[in-house]
Amino acid sequence: MNVVITPAMIGQVVISGLLSGVLYSMVALGLALIFGVMRIINVAHGPLLMLGAYTTFFLYSAFGLNPYLTVPISMAVLFVVGLVLERTLVFRVIEAPELSSLLLTFGISIALVNAAQLAFTSDLRAVEYLTGSWVIGPFAFSKSRVIAFVFAGALTGGAFLFLKSTRLGKAIRATSQSRDVAMVCGIDVGAIHRLTFGLASALAAAGGALIAMIVAIQPEMGQIWTFKSFLVIVLGGAGNYPGALLGGMLLGLVEQLASLFLTTQLSEVVAYVLLVIVLLVRPTGLLGGRQT
Amino acid sequence: MKRSAITAVVLVVLGVFGASLVADAQGPVRIGASLSLTGTYAKPGKYQHEGYQFCQKELNAKGGLLGRKVEFVVYDDQSQPPTGVRLYEKLITEDKVDAVMGPYSSPITEAVANVTEKYKKVMVAPLAATTSIFKKGRKYIVMVISPAEVYLEGLVDMAAKRGLKTVAVVNEDTLFSKAAASGAADLAKKKGLQVVFTEAYPKGNTDFSALLTKIKAANPDVIAAATYFDDAVAMTRQMKELNVNPKMYGVTVGGDLPEFYDLLKGNAEYIYGATQWEAELKYPGNREWFEAYKAEFKREPVYHSAAGYAGCLIYAEGVKKAGSLDADKVREALSKLEMRTMFGDYKVDQDGFQLAHKMVTFQWQKEKKVVVWPDDLAQGKILFPTPAWNTR
Repeated sequence: MNVVITPAMIGQVVISGLLSGVLYSMVALGLALIFGVMRIINVAHGPLLMLGAYTTFFLYSAFGLNPYLTVPISMAVLFVVGLVLERTLVFRVIEAPELSSLLLTFGISIALVNAAQLAFTSDLRAVEYLTGSWVIGPFAFSKSRVIAFVFAGALTGGAFLFLKSTRLGKAIRATSQSRDVAMVCGIDVGAIHRLTFGLASALAAAGGALIAMIVAIQPEMGQIWTFKSFLVIVLGGAGNYPGALLGGMLLGLVEQLASLFLTTQLSEVVAYVLLVIVLLVRPTGLLGGRQT
Repeated sequence: MKRSAITAVVLVVLGVFGASLVADAQGPVRIGASLSLTGTYAKPGKYQHEGYQFCQKELNAKGGLLGRKVEFVVYDDQSQPPTGVRLYEKLITEDKVDAVMGPYSSPITEAVANVTEKYKKVMVAPLAATTSIFKKGRKYIVMVISPAEVYLEGLVDMAAKRGLKTVAVVNEDTLFSKAAASGAADLAKKKGLQVVFTEAYPKGNTDFSALLTKIKAANPDVIAAATYFDDAVAMTRQMKELNVNPKMYGVTVGGDLPEFYDLLKGNAEYIYGATQWEAELKYPGNREWFEAYKAEFKREPVYHSAAGYAGCLIYAEGVKKAGSLDADKVREALSKLEMRTMFGDYKVDQDGFQLAHKMVTFQWQKEKKVVVWPDDLAQGKILFPTPAWNTR
């Protein structure tokens, strides 16, 4: 009953793993940003991704927009949603004990999912655009995944560049290193928090928009992305931004290889076992925790 | 997270004129059920719900049950067996419903049957197809549809007749799908096909890349997938992405829903599916029922609607024959009952296991489901073999 695993099959799943890995990286980078800057685990990250996916779906189905053009629109919409959430709710728990922020974002997450179920119903939706693949030799490259890879790679690269080279990006990193010192240096920490939350939501939205073109979407799709993103940032080192990138690629590869060599059922188990091992051996994650 | 979102929705408000407050015999017969109105089984669960609603309406139009009106009390179990268990406890002990009907899906029926047995409530379970549920010595549970094990029989039979040799069987790792997969594998072996690959995947799985890579390497003539809806959609899309080209590809649940075609568009062509019921089948009153349902809900019924409706009729018939709501009398009447509805035949053995109902296999051809098996019910020929994705 067993299939002999050939190098071509390994190649194929490595391709699949890398293609989904970069999506994990991008989405997790948003979670890492919020954690780094605000010390909040944003449980609502996945549901925000779900909202991004629905934005793309409705722009595509109602206005016939090319779904790839909707990616920046989804990002802009969710950037605003993120800003508003921060301004109205999240800023209240930044100085509070960590349990408060968990409870708050958990509540936001439930509210978003249930609101989406009411507004959009729990029917599956799909953006049926660019299905199929490019076949090169023994390998199939899914069209929608390859383009998602390019988008996610570019957006993640852009986010890094922004953090590294712009004044605003530096201000974000400074706030992440020390809120008090940043404030003393004249950085408007409140504004940085809002910006970070908006930016992170936009990254989640980009993920959602791209995922909507790969799999069918429904209101509960987001939760699994919260867990995966969390896994990614713990693997890479919480609050460490390049760590999120590495963690995402690693998770993508591990999931696929585990499904190939073991079974699809065990792939998640393997991912979490990996998490436990990393926590035992390097409790601060592969690239170390937040640099201070 | 679903667990904590206990937002059970009461869809039918009790006692329209407060009659339920006066607990006399003239109040309505209240029938409780939990259904998957959200979550992974939401799609078929909602059709089943419409089946119940339609049955309630028609029963009431014909004077109700034992001279009393019929009212369904329905909660959302979010496709989660533990939620279903809690809801049936609530329906029976807090809401004190007069009777219950089954939820959607085998896993949830299996879980809640323990509750309905405990309180000695007859449960006609119209959408539970797993044999084992009915073969555990339970006394009050009644089956309506054909068992899971025969869902893929048509696919396997047609494959064998066309001289195909190898089959890959995959399934969601839950009660019904496991039974459907093992039934398919057994049938395949009996008919001389070789099962070259089997694997289960977890519920809610959306990434089939590695699984399909392995199937591609095994290169089977037939892929028999024991699926629900979401996974059938995801798997089909990724088969195209990975250019996996069997000569026949069939799914179980989900493939028959119109939404399957809506989501996949042309990619659904050539796919085989199994169904318990189709509008075109010549059962008594089937055409009229189809039209009336369409007028009521503004969409066409699927077999989940028909099974829900028929299950409710069967229960009502049992009550009429028994002349009371007493569980033992109704159960006795239901085991003697032989009935032909627009859904087909009903007859159960002493365990409540379905013996008479027949399944059909269809193929998606030009946006339509064409019944292709068994021969005596077939409306068309199969398009065979399924062309490779890149040649369509």
